[in-house]
Amino acid sequence: MKKMRRFVGAQVFGFISFLLLWQLICLALDIRVIPTPAETIKQMLAEPRELVLHAGASVLRVMAAIAVSLAIAVPAGLLLGGNKWFRTLVSPFVYFIYPIPKVAFLPVFMLLFGLGNVSKIILMIWIIMFQIMLSVRDGVDSIPGLYFQVMKGFRASSWQTYRYLVLPAVLPHMFTGLRISIGISLASLFFAENYATTYGIGYYILSAWTKMNYPEMFGGILTLGLVGLLLFKGLDALQRKCTPWTAKGR
Amino acid sequence: MRVGMAPFVELTEIGIRLGGKEIFAGMNARLERGVSYALIGKSGVGKSTLLNLIAGYLTPGSGSLTVGGEPVNGPRRGTAFLQQELGLFPWQTVAEAVGMPLRLAGGVTDKKEIANKTAGLLAELGLEGVAGSYPAQLSGGQRQRAALARTLIGEPDFLLMDEPTSSLDAVTKESIQLLVQEQQRKRGATLLFVTHDIEEAVLLGDVIFLLEAGGGLSSRKTADFEGGTAREDIRFYESCIELRQWMNAL
Repeated sequence: MKKMRRFVGAQVFGFISFLLLWQLICLALDIRVIPTPAETIKQMLAEPRELVLHAGASVLRVMAAIAVSLAIAVPAGLLLGGNKWFRTLVSPFVYFIYPIPKVAFLPVFMLLFGLGNVSKIILMIWIIMFQIMLSVRDGVDSIPGLYFQVMKGFRASSWQTYRYLVLPAVLPHMFTGLRISIGISLASLFFAENYATTYGIGYYILSAWTKMNYPEMFGGILTLGLVGLLLFKGLDALQRKCTPWTAKGR
Repeated sequence: MRVGMAPFVELTEIGIRLGGKEIFAGMNARLERGVSYALIGKSGVGKSTLLNLIAGYLTPGSGSLTVGGEPVNGPRRGTAFLQQELGLFPWQTVAEAVGMPLRLAGGVTDKKEIANKTAGLLAELGLEGVAGSYPAQLSGGQRQRAALARTLIGEPDFLLMDEPTSSLDAVTKESIQLLVQEQQRKRGATLLFVTHDIEEAVLLGDVIFLLEAGGGLSSRKTADFEGGTAREDIRFYESCIELRQWMNAL
């Protein structure tokens, strides 16, 4: 309970410090483009339903992309780590694609899958998938040979070796990959939501910008930050539950 | 040691090459059931290789190897191998690690049965207080006991141990040595362990094997030493001196 109170206290302190810093910047610059925290929050509270709908649409796109990415990337990463033939076949393609900024593929996806949700979600899958796949592969690579020998000694089947050794070993790596790629995917989503979008926090921010409604624009930016914060905190909580043996889990 | 019966383990004209280097050529050895064997020898002569061969992790290039009358073609049910590095998985609690072999080769699916067997063995080995702890949260001695419990849970008739106490402090080392001795005698299992410690060889071994480069194996029964083989016997160290002299004379 005491630990919880200290944690909440630290979070509140951090948030208040952030607002104070923001206020100081406003006072120092004194320009209309940067509204004060009070103006921004007032604007956010004026039309909360609208903001929730936009943020909700973005979160749904991110969640759908994460779910599909995990379903594809975890088995692919396990195969890359555990199957030499698959690694030889796929690695050149992965290394070729990996360094290219994935957002460059948005026009291709829009041409292939239309301007709607599908192309935006596929863009994020394209971003998240590679990071998770490579993290999972590195996780498999990092398992000491001794552990496989232990499983062999207990005459474990291939499935049992995956269940008791490989999957738990790669879990922390998967979370690392997820954490890195969520940040990148949110940034890319902001870009993608500028095209043919009705709802989405990226659209909300740029729409406010074109209307020169700066408190609304900052309200959107603050909401985007809060969405990121919630996603990362959710991920931390999930990791604590799934990997209690790691420093993050304890 | 019973004489005239079929040996429990028999190595006949065993030869093996690893990395292009000949480790053993024409090696012969016989191990009787229920006897404890200490395997000593200089570094690099192949003590761990011999354990890996007998465990079924390595295949000899020539000769025949049988355990319990059956040729060894991989890890055998009934043979348990405690590696020097233990190989406890960081993500398994002590109870999970100890129960795992029952789920694997043991084929036990009843969770209650697994929990009862595990709890019984943990209590026997003084680990009941740390059943829910992860390896990183244990002391060196507790980790050693946990690994030993995981080795014993399947009720093996043949125990292989590679330097079971090499990383422990003097006090913990003695308690683990006594535990190994007690468990081996209680279960009537055959024990073959590698050690660099003369006292450990005299204390735990009924027979001492001295391995030389190329696979030459000399043996001596500790009962034939002039001094005692129990640590509380004042003449224990006379036996240790005798073993040293025998080693140096060979």
